[in-house]
Amino acid sequence: MANISFNAVERVFHQGDKEIVAVGGVTLEVADREFVAIVGPSGCGKTTCLRMAAGLEKPTHGTVSVGGVPVTAPGPDRSVVFQQFALFPWKTVTQNIEFGLRSLNIDAKTRAERVKHYIEFMGLAGYEQGFPHQLSGGMQQRVAIARAYVLDPKVLLMDEPFGALDAQTRVVMQEELVRLARKHPRTVLFITHAVEEAVYLADRVVVMTRRPGLIKEIVDIKSIRERERWDQVERIEDVMDQPSFVGLRSHIWRLLREQHAGDPQ
Amino acid sequence: MNAVKNILNVLVSVAGVLLVWLTLTTWTGIIEPNRFPNPMEFWVSLKQIALQGYGNGKLHQHILQSVILVTTSFLVASTAGVTLGLLMGASRRIEAFVNPVFLTLRPIPPLAWIPLAIVWLGLDNSAKVMVIFVAAFVPSVINSYAAVRSIETPILEASAMLGIRRWLHWKEVLIPASLPLIFTGLRLSLQASWTTLVAAELIGALLGLGSILNQAAQDIYPAMILVGMFSVAVSGWLMTVLLGVIERRAMPWRASP
Amino acid sequence: MNGLRELSRRQWLVLTLLGASTFLGLWYFLAFIGVTPQKFLPTPLDVVQRFFTLSTEPFVGMTLFGHLASSFHRFLSGFGLAVAIGVPLGLLMATSKVVDRIVTPLFESIRFVAPIAWIPFAALWFGTGMGGPVLIIFMGAFPPVLINTYRGSKYVDVKYLEAAWTLGASRFRVMTEVLMPAAVPSIVAGLRVSAGLGWQSLVGAELIAASSGVGYMMVKGQQSIDTSTVMSGMLAIGLVGLLIDILLRKLQERVSQC
Repeated sequence: MANISFNAVERVFHQGDKEIVAVGGVTLEVADREFVAIVGPSGCGKTTCLRMAAGLEKPTHGTVSVGGVPVTAPGPDRSVVFQQFALFPWKTVTQNIEFGLRSLNIDAKTRAERVKHYIEFMGLAGYEQGFPHQLSGGMQQRVAIARAYVLDPKVLLMDEPFGALDAQTRVVMQEELVRLARKHPRTVLFITHAVEEAVYLADRVVVMTRRPGLIKEIVDIKSIRERERWDQVERIEDVMDQPSFVGLRSHIWRLLREQHAGDPQ
Repeated sequence: MNAVKNILNVLVSVAGVLLVWLTLTTWTGIIEPNRFPNPMEFWVSLKQIALQGYGNGKLHQHILQSVILVTTSFLVASTAGVTLGLLMGASRRIEAFVNPVFLTLRPIPPLAWIPLAIVWLGLDNSAKVMVIFVAAFVPSVINSYAAVRSIETPILEASAMLGIRRWLHWKEVLIPASLPLIFTGLRLSLQASWTTLVAAELIGALLGLGSILNQAAQDIYPAMILVGMFSVAVSGWLMTVLLGVIERRAMPWRASP
Repeated sequence: MNGLRELSRRQWLVLTLLGASTFLGLWYFLAFIGVTPQKFLPTPLDVVQRFFTLSTEPFVGMTLFGHLASSFHRFLSGFGLAVAIGVPLGLLMATSKVVDRIVTPLFESIRFVAPIAWIPFAALWFGTGMGGPVLIIFMGAFPPVLINTYRGSKYVDVKYLEAAWTLGASRFRVMTEVLMPAAVPSIVAGLRVSAGLGWQSLVGAELIAASSGVGYMMVKGQQSIDTSTVMSGMLAIGLVGLLIDILLRKLQERVSQC
């Protein structure tokens, strides 16, 4: 298991003659097995931060490290769950899930067991031989999560994973994710637009500003969650009715709103 | 900036090919001279045919012969083909009537018509025209037909709703909407025409790019064979470019591909 | 008309038969009134008869099927070679910039040369051996395969590549398990075009530089003004070409189920 360290990370794009500062200067520590969500307006660079942690993009300045080791390239120790699922349409559910495992030195028997475990855990039993296009959005994202999780990654990077799902499926998936994170805890970096989702899922919520992307504030959720005993509440709707929840949500919303007011663009 | 980059890229590529060519022939002799010419031999032969002539004429005469033949046949064939294709596309009746003949003749490759053309018309230009016609006709029909059929229904419905007359419907809606695919068909027709002409000239012609190839083959003159191939390629490419220019001017509303 | 008037099944049948009979009728008419001597324009029946005769009696060495087998064998060799080289090369070019920069200029300079134009060199290098026609067929079949494989793999949706990378797949696995399957629809489309061009190139090659095969058969027929034989050859070539295309179309349909 590991932590994620962003050290004065900047990411600058060049479009023709223009210079676009996607990420202005971010310093952030995600502790081992901590669930951190990043929220912010479009273009604030939150996805870019995740992609740099994944190794899909390189910072222009500063470094991103996972477990103390600087990130240089993508790898299975930092599994990614994409918004568009990115399941391989020509592979079955089982083949998708075991895709990453086959690059690791694991014998076939262990592999099959692990795949089976996650298929059952993510409620995919019966769909093993199905193809992605036969599954609903929610089911596909379950496969994507299983595919990332089965690798036993140090770090799980989730880029608006529920953004493409309808509202009801989204809620179900949020509950699933909480269940999964409690059972198999790991370091998670979670990007989302939905403030409620962030407050529900995360230990801490990072609020970023729009371009150039900077951290505006980091809101601590965990202490309040534990103090108010949200996990004693059964359903997600009831959790979201808690005054403490509402208070946190409003606070974050206000932070986001402040950026829109008085914006010249 | 982009244009300069492109030109530089092309120059580098050409230089690269030349280097490979020189290496394989003159510098190392991996490829024997009687199998494939080296750049110097190629250049000498090129000058020869351009200035002195080879096989009944100078290079420009050969090119002119081929290009004129192809262009005239292509224009006639594609006009006929596009017309038929549009009619077939616009009317299921015409389609049903023409289909049996069209579908039977379509799978026959244009080159397969050469022996028949020779039987009927002998070895002169009319036989070549016939074969080129067949080659150019089919792609034009198919693509124009597809063009009409692929016009989105809302556009047809809008036109019907506006109640315009058939003539205007054709002129202002049907044909412009079909132009992109029509031009695709024209491009294919041109390629087919060109290929067929070269083959026809290879078989029997006194003048024309194909005849250069034939003569050079008989004389076992590899450098001239290459000159012939090169001329075929360049001429074909130029005509395609020209067609592209016409295409862009005919459809100014299109974003650059 | 501003829309497409659908035809009833009966209307369609009637018009189709009308079209077919008009064509055949015109043909018969022209043949009978002797616009051209009998040998130049045989009746449709003559052609059919000749077709069947050729199936049983040898002409210039083999029966029709013998010639067809010879032609098809050449086609398969040339086409097979084009696929065997074109697909891996296309995949490689899509993944490696180095290979791309080396191969592209070489390919572009050869691509515009009509396959037929290679006949003189083919004759020079291979004489009357099979290598000649196979070279021509290869030159016709190779470009579409290479181009379609290249484009199909190069323009694969980035998300699949990123998913594969983040899952730790090696370059080889990315090429074989992601790029190639993603490019398959494009590759198969290329195969169809390629087969068509290859078959056409075969005909051209056999007309000029062969001593067996359907093209050769037609040339011999032409030289003795045996139009029925020529037309039988055309028919045979058309049928086989159609068959190949239908088979590949079926393949295309199966593949696009993904």
